[in-house]
Amino acid sequence: MTISKLLSPLALGVVLGLVAFIVFGPLLNLAMWTFAEQWFYPNRLPTGWGFSFWERVFRPRAGAWTSLFNTVLVACAAVLLSMALAIPAGYALARQALPARSVIMLLFLLPQAFPNLPIFVNIAAIFYQWGLNGTLVGVVLVHSLPGLVYAVWIATAAFSAVDRSLEEAARNLGASPLRSFTDITLPQALPGLLAASIFVFLDSIDEFTGTFFVGAPEITTLPLLMFNASMGGNYQVAAITALILLIPSVGFMLVIERFLKADVLARVGR
Amino acid sequence: MSTSSSQAHSLAVPSRRLPRISLGMLLVLPALTAIILLYALPLARSLVTAFRDSSGVWTTDHVVRAFSLYGRDMLFSVGVASASLALIATISIAISGYLVLGTTPWAVRLLRWLYRWPLFIPFVVTGQIARSFLATNGMMNNVLVETGLMASNSAQSFLDWRGLVLTFAWKQIPFVTLLLAGAMAAIDRSHIEAARNVGANRLRCLFEIILPLAAPSLWVGLILSLVAMLSALSVPMMLIAGNPTMMTSMMAHRITYYGDYGIANALGLFSYALTAVTAWIYLRLTLRREATA
Amino acid sequence: MKPLALTLGLMTSAIAAPTMATTTLNVFTAGDDNMVEYINEFLAPRFEAEHPDVRVRALGTGPGDAGSQAIYETLSAQRESETWGVDVAVIHQRMAGQMTQEGLLSRYTAGLGTGSLASADSARNALGVDVEGYVMPMFQSQIAIAYNPALLEQPPQSYQALAEWVKEHPGQFGYNGITGGMAGVGFVFGWMYAFTDMADTLQNGPWEEDAPERWTAALDQLRTFNQHVTMTPGNAGTMDAMNRGEIAMGPVWMDMYYTWMADGRLNPDFRLMLLEPGMPGQPMYYVIPERAEHAELAAEFIALATSPEVQAEGIVGRFNWFPGIDAEHVRDELSDAQWAQLYSDVSPETLAERGFSMPQADYFRAILEAYESHVSH
Repeated sequence: MTISKLLSPLALGVVLGLVAFIVFGPLLNLAMWTFAEQWFYPNRLPTGWGFSFWERVFRPRAGAWTSLFNTVLVACAAVLLSMALAIPAGYALARQALPARSVIMLLFLLPQAFPNLPIFVNIAAIFYQWGLNGTLVGVVLVHSLPGLVYAVWIATAAFSAVDRSLEEAARNLGASPLRSFTDITLPQALPGLLAASIFVFLDSIDEFTGTFFVGAPEITTLPLLMFNASMGGNYQVAAITALILLIPSVGFMLVIERFLKADVLARVGR
Repeated sequence: MSTSSSQAHSLAVPSRRLPRISLGMLLVLPALTAIILLYALPLARSLVTAFRDSSGVWTTDHVVRAFSLYGRDMLFSVGVASASLALIATISIAISGYLVLGTTPWAVRLLRWLYRWPLFIPFVVTGQIARSFLATNGMMNNVLVETGLMASNSAQSFLDWRGLVLTFAWKQIPFVTLLLAGAMAAIDRSHIEAARNVGANRLRCLFEIILPLAAPSLWVGLILSLVAMLSALSVPMMLIAGNPTMMTSMMAHRITYYGDYGIANALGLFSYALTAVTAWIYLRLTLRREATA
Repeated sequence: MKPLALTLGLMTSAIAAPTMATTTLNVFTAGDDNMVEYINEFLAPRFEAEHPDVRVRALGTGPGDAGSQAIYETLSAQRESETWGVDVAVIHQRMAGQMTQEGLLSRYTAGLGTGSLASADSARNALGVDVEGYVMPMFQSQIAIAYNPALLEQPPQSYQALAEWVKEHPGQFGYNGITGGMAGVGFVFGWMYAFTDMADTLQNGPWEEDAPERWTAALDQLRTFNQHVTMTPGNAGTMDAMNRGEIAMGPVWMDMYYTWMADGRLNPDFRLMLLEPGMPGQPMYYVIPERAEHAELAAEFIALATSPEVQAEGIVGRFNWFPGIDAEHVRDELSDAQWAQLYSDVSPETLAERGFSMPQADYFRAILEAYESHVSH
């Protein structure tokens, strides 16, 4: 007790300051790169600042607009596809007495439980035969795979967190089963389902490996654009693209707890 | 539409077990089909390709060559993954422990706001961030030099296994912490109060009462992190130059340079084996928990 | 269901839009980002000005062999199709032979107005394979050593001297191994030219089955050498590490080096040199796939790209790259100052003496394999 009294609040401040540097330092460094026009050794800070690289990224031919469009389109399509498959499956897994339920749950766990690089590589080889390589449909399918897994898990957790007694009460009061599902079950599971959608959306925006093998070079998404710029040594272009990618990520991070309640979180994976 | 009305129908007659079972299967079927086409099929192909030569004859050549060419990279991957997991677990426990047990409200609020920022930042972006931050003349070393904590000539690049560990940890800690803190918050406060009343200090309270109850979430978080690390292609490609590097890099190298699926898939086998061990531990824990519950 | 329908609608329009309004000429290019940029920023606007109904779409497939391999795989996956989705491809020298032999490329240069302007040996022979008629050189590039005079006034002039030098200056030399792009690969080839007695055979053949067994000493030396150097992530990574003062010298592609220089992204004090006995270079080739959908447009595009004006203004004038067509056709289009600038670091004599070609295709692969099993392992 005495030690903690002595330590706080100064030590707390120092520790939290350090945490802040670890979290924000790298982000600040990235932000600096987006405006640095000239930055080389031995200068600690850029010697030229400006917007010229922004202009270069967003000029019509540079492909940033197409990549942005592709990224958002693919992410939305992946959300729709995964949720359409996951909501019924999640409901059934949470509520119905399924034969071999644990086997099914395990099957939905496998894609996340094993590294997906070999899978993507072989999907690409299979998609070549099906003519899906380098098409938007192929990319959406590849993005839906990890998305589907998240979606099924979270949807199952969300449906099993719904209070059954309310449903039973509604049924006792004479509501039809469909009404009790749409009026009672669905609204209660909605925050979890929204969270699942957000996960799928972010996962798709984040997705690099699958697009790298299935989409490139015909379909370029922002992560691919960023990677190419970075490997090509265009740090400014990479930093600007990275900054765009950060907007949805950070935005959702700030609101995530509104959607994902602790009780749902605690059930994920069970 | 048709599925929800038939579902309503079966809910109306809960006593009839048979239709309910088949309805449940019907609801799961589309998702199951998707998983089989997008996952089981490529998985089977990867396993088969690893053991077949170009003319379709069964062989262990690829596996042997994968080991002889990339054995060091496999060890490197194991090392980096273990070190990252250790770091992630330690810091996640520390952060979520403080969030649950901390007594200084402003500090708890600030920490809760701070730790989550990297949560959804994509791996590619993390790679780019780390690449410029951890370089010899990157911001980290510059700050250390400017604040006098380090001599400028002793600045060295962290873009090796240390960089990978730090980068993976930076990206995964918020995720594991979110899961763990969520599980800790869901624990009945009366357990904690009771322990505090009989005089347990906060550290003992964390390790003897809270952590065991929240451990399953920690495991889930760590396994997902392990898989994420063994799947991440962009980060090792951007951070690590030359060999040894993560196996993902070498798999991509075999394919993009030589179109050699055999050795690439043989490397994939190894990453499966690695996660299989961890998954097995997790499953055993889950089964034991369900047996006791 | 509305959002789904909306998305599907958007999706189909996104796919259909470019083809409906205009013809799209798909140009796939291997190599670093600067290649895509050159086609997008320089060639495409000029070509579109001549053909208002055509839109040029440049797609980068990645640096090094991987980029050319990707183009090869894209084409061979479509082998059975009526037309292939690639109209023009820009590939590395190594892949040209294999693609020609497999019948993936069309023989087009005879009918090309600029076809006769490229008469160098590399326009007819790609690392031992006869490719006459199938390729037009886009530009000739050379691997050289870039160094930072601020950190190093007298750079070692030969592979032999370099091998000694790195022992006294650990970490000051950096290269990207063989997995991160061709600059590192080329440096390794130069090493083999220097430390095996097979320099001539490696470049001109014939293939000897037992050759790799005779490389052990050279590879062991390289393994020792690697312990004293910094590994960089990619061609760009080497220049980036120089920029940030992490290394004092390293192998670079001269074309990329000059692109960066022109962009102000590289310290202007840096200099280039070629190591004794020599370092490899190679042309990038324009090729037309056998079943390109717009083969005629593709030929016109290549004719424009290999015309003396474009080669002079774009390849030499703007980027300081060595022209793909014979120099005498380009010389007239340039001022003396521009011409001198091309050889400001490396004189024509040095280039003639120390500019080697890449090894023959079989040796090419054998050296990479040997590197993986002896050096990086």
